[in-house]
Amino acid sequence: MIRSIVTLLEERIVLLDGGMGSALIARGLESGKSPESWNVEFPDRVQDVHARYFAAGSDVVQTNTFGGNPFILAKHGLDDRMEEINRAAAQIARAAADAACTKGGGEKLVAGDIGPSGLLLPPVGNADPAELEKGFGRQAAALAEGGADYISIETMMDLNEALCALRGARATTDLPITACITFDRKKRGFFTMMGNTPAQCAETLAEEGAVAVGANCSIGSDAMIELCPALADAVSVPVIVKPNAGLPDMEEGRPVYRQTPADFARDAAALGALGARAVGGCCGTDERFIAAVRIELDKLAHQDNS
Amino acid sequence: MEIKELFRKQAQSVLDGDAKAAAALAGDAVGAGVDLKACIDEGYVAGIHEVGRLWEEGEYFLPDLMQGADAMKAAMDVIRPELLKTGKGAASGPKVVIGTIEGDIHDIGKTLVSTFLEANGFSVIDLGRDVAVEKFADTAAAEEAKLVCLSALLTTTMPGHAKVIEILKERGLKSMVSVLVGGAPVTAGFADEIGADGFAPNAVEAVAVARRLTGFES
Repeated sequence: MIRSIVTLLEERIVLLDGGMGSALIARGLESGKSPESWNVEFPDRVQDVHARYFAAGSDVVQTNTFGGNPFILAKHGLDDRMEEINRAAAQIARAAADAACTKGGGEKLVAGDIGPSGLLLPPVGNADPAELEKGFGRQAAALAEGGADYISIETMMDLNEALCALRGARATTDLPITACITFDRKKRGFFTMMGNTPAQCAETLAEEGAVAVGANCSIGSDAMIELCPALADAVSVPVIVKPNAGLPDMEEGRPVYRQTPADFARDAAALGALGARAVGGCCGTDERFIAAVRIELDKLAHQDNS
Repeated sequence: MEIKELFRKQAQSVLDGDAKAAAALAGDAVGAGVDLKACIDEGYVAGIHEVGRLWEEGEYFLPDLMQGADAMKAAMDVIRPELLKTGKGAASGPKVVIGTIEGDIHDIGKTLVSTFLEANGFSVIDLGRDVAVEKFADTAAAEEAKLVCLSALLTTTMPGHAKVIEILKERGLKSMVSVLVGGAPVTAGFADEIGADGFAPNAVEAVAVARRLTGFES
């Protein structure tokens, strides 16, 4: 029996996974193509990414469904296959988790990943919140059906869109739901693009039933160390952090992340000491980063026990 | 109302993102026979510049920016027909074709630039997002546009910028139309490299560059 993410977060600092998109590109995903289409076209390649994260020490992997909501899939003409794609993604991650458990890796969980719709709610855009809620709800149901252990909403730029995803998922599944927002550093501190603070976002999402709340993407691990206390102070639910591997340099029009796994892992340990209960990596991170964080977290746990 | 006070209120209506007040104040100016071009420059444009400054300072956020631009647009909708009537203002400003390159479904930046250009008097033809590269040239030719604005948020769609410029050159349109590029991964260096005429890192500067490239003052 796999225990709930809620229990794991109480027990220890949970190690999430790292980037997915770049791992798929390294395996041949062409630019402009829907990464989620690979859940049905090349499930073995997607599973390989999950397997490597579990082998590196991840407790949880996130399904390859960041752009798996019907709104993003529609841009690729794949919205009519939304259920199939999300179900397959959860099954692939489930298979990787089961295989890792059999190898004696302890408890391995699958987070059903939900990312932004690409649409903007009023007053900036004219997306209908009820439509967003319904679409995210359908995605969550498909992820649950495929075997996800919990739903992970992430990289939301607008708190209101995160709420749409949270309410939509709550309406269609009984799974625990976590929610992460992406923040930018401004002169006066950290804010969403829409102007909400980390504390406002964390409080609102926790009130609406998220079992854990946090921040991911946009900023590097050093900035996340500054941001983390604002989240931890605001809520009693566990805090999740998934920073990028520093800020990218642009090289020939492509972002290049230069932070080393060791530096990232040192910051990840610091985040754990600051109260984060789940850490992982976002853009620019891969299994080497996760392996390095595993070592640091194990050291931290060892210190606490001794 | 003292004229300076009117300008101040007009600027404030943009800062507040209050489209109703912005339009009403424009109506007041029309009724009182105030110099409408001065209203634009010292009132609304001053307001939108302050909005841009506050955004760069991190005091204003995306909703403030959009509402400020909408307020400016509401005022311009009242003022522009009056300027046309009196023959004092240029007709509507130069035509601008704008869009996000195909493969790119992000359009926040593009929409902001589009709104800001419109607020500043340009005639904007917004092709939306995920636009085929040929369509930029087709529309620029059909509409006799003076400027094409291209946006990319993904590094993968940046080559599309170069492609649009190539097509404009192939069709002999490049001497008639300027190209302005922007978007998160786009730099001035990249703009130079692909032969774009201008680069803007944000919506406020996009207006300034668009003015320079088209020789248009609202």
